[in-house]
Amino acid sequence: MSKVLCSVATRGRYHTTLPLVLNAIINQTKPVDRLIIFDDNDEPQDMRKEMIYSYFFQMLDLKAIKWEWRYAGKKGQHHIHQQANDIAVNEGYEWVWRCDDDAIPEPNVLRSLYLHALSNVGAIGGAVLTPPNIFENVNSTGKIDHIDSEPNIQWSPIPMVREVEHLHCTFLYRAGVHNFNTGLSRVAHREETLFTYGLHQKGYKVLAVPNATTWHMKNPQGGIRSETNAELYTHDEQIFRNYLACRDKTIVVLNCGMGDHIVFSHILPQLKDPMVFTCYPDIIPGKSIGEAKQLFGDIDNWSIYKWMAHRKWTDSLEDAFRGMYL
Amino acid sequence: MIIIAPFAQKLRTGALNPKNYPLTYWKQLVEMIDEPIIQVGVEGEEQLVDNFVKNMSLPRLREMLQECRTWIGVDSFFQHLAWDEGKQGIVLWGPSDPLIFGHHENINLLKDRSHLVPNQFIWWEATPHSNDRFVEPQIVLEHLRK
Repeated sequence: MSKVLCSVATRGRYHTTLPLVLNAIINQTKPVDRLIIFDDNDEPQDMRKEMIYSYFFQMLDLKAIKWEWRYAGKKGQHHIHQQANDIAVNEGYEWVWRCDDDAIPEPNVLRSLYLHALSNVGAIGGAVLTPPNIFENVNSTGKIDHIDSEPNIQWSPIPMVREVEHLHCTFLYRAGVHNFNTGLSRVAHREETLFTYGLHQKGYKVLAVPNATTWHMKNPQGGIRSETNAELYTHDEQIFRNYLACRDKTIVVLNCGMGDHIVFSHILPQLKDPMVFTCYPDIIPGKSIGEAKQLFGDIDNWSIYKWMAHRKWTDSLEDAFRGMYL
Repeated sequence: MIIIAPFAQKLRTGALNPKNYPLTYWKQLVEMIDEPIIQVGVEGEEQLVDNFVKNMSLPRLREMLQECRTWIGVDSFFQHLAWDEGKQGIVLWGPSDPLIFGHHENINLLKDRSHLVPNQFIWWEATPHSNDRFVEPQIVLEHLRK
């Protein structure tokens, strides 16, 4: 059975919803194999001194769940989740359950999500309901083309398994396949959508499943997105829109060496409608890497070396490019 | 005529690239080769033979590859360029893995897989150079004469 790492990013909710979230995670009917709490508070505290937290830590120990409290870098939750993604890959966790600090999963959520964790699946999410607003009978499709016209499928009860193209929050995902876009600003607007849509684009199924309800206790106090600078949201929205505008093309970003470009040139003719960004336009014609960064924020998802490292690659570089782009 | 491309790209730290075949071995090797040799590379690299052409354009390098009998190089862009041109040569491997970064059409001389670095995908700045990783010049010469 593959192992599950649970990551929680928190800010400003030590004494409101975070204890509820931790209690819910500890009491899942399918236990997590490891829990990491990423503390992104401006003034982090040592919570071992708090009675409730002290009990949580003892419960985790008694249940033999490895846990860790990490102080995060205040760069936004996309950086935190990418860190969890990297830890999972490096330490042998196939799945990551990313939980928010104001969303309380019912005890069966991880078990229900994990039931669908098959080899062709990239992410699985259940309903995330925000009392008192529950969208009834909206029949959302979860297609990226409908993102401006329908509520997210997770905001309503989910009666049956639906294949979608993106998820909104609190989901289980396959580690190491796709990176969170760390080119977004610290508000990390659209980060979950970009991440799960990236998994979909890489050919993995993204599922919305029933019997996995999380209660979103929306709280104006704290929160990982307490930043209100409108410019940051505009910046992130533009990156998101740039992705959407290019979604029918094969985006190629060759931020690598000359030799790598030459090897890639053997793959290029097989690509459907490629849009190429290159370091060496005399070898592979295309736009500049700077332009790729401007359009997409972060280009790590196209790093062939990261791609190979994540997979502990032992085949040829040419086959790696083939695996990445074909 | 034989082309030699002795050096991999310089490291940002200024340290010796661990993929470079040892300089002492190169000097012994060129002494033993009884054919005209042209060295290709960039400004600032050590000259090993009389005929050293620097900073050549890619089209000109491709032309030269077509004109040579064969070539000897390390794990650098040159081995990929020669492969692209369909010209077989000898690649002298050290810490990087020829099964990943090499081409089976070439003669890939690796002393021992135990000398490969465990993580092939990190920056080479993190790996110290070691002469022990490379085959000796006599072995290269034997393959060159085959």
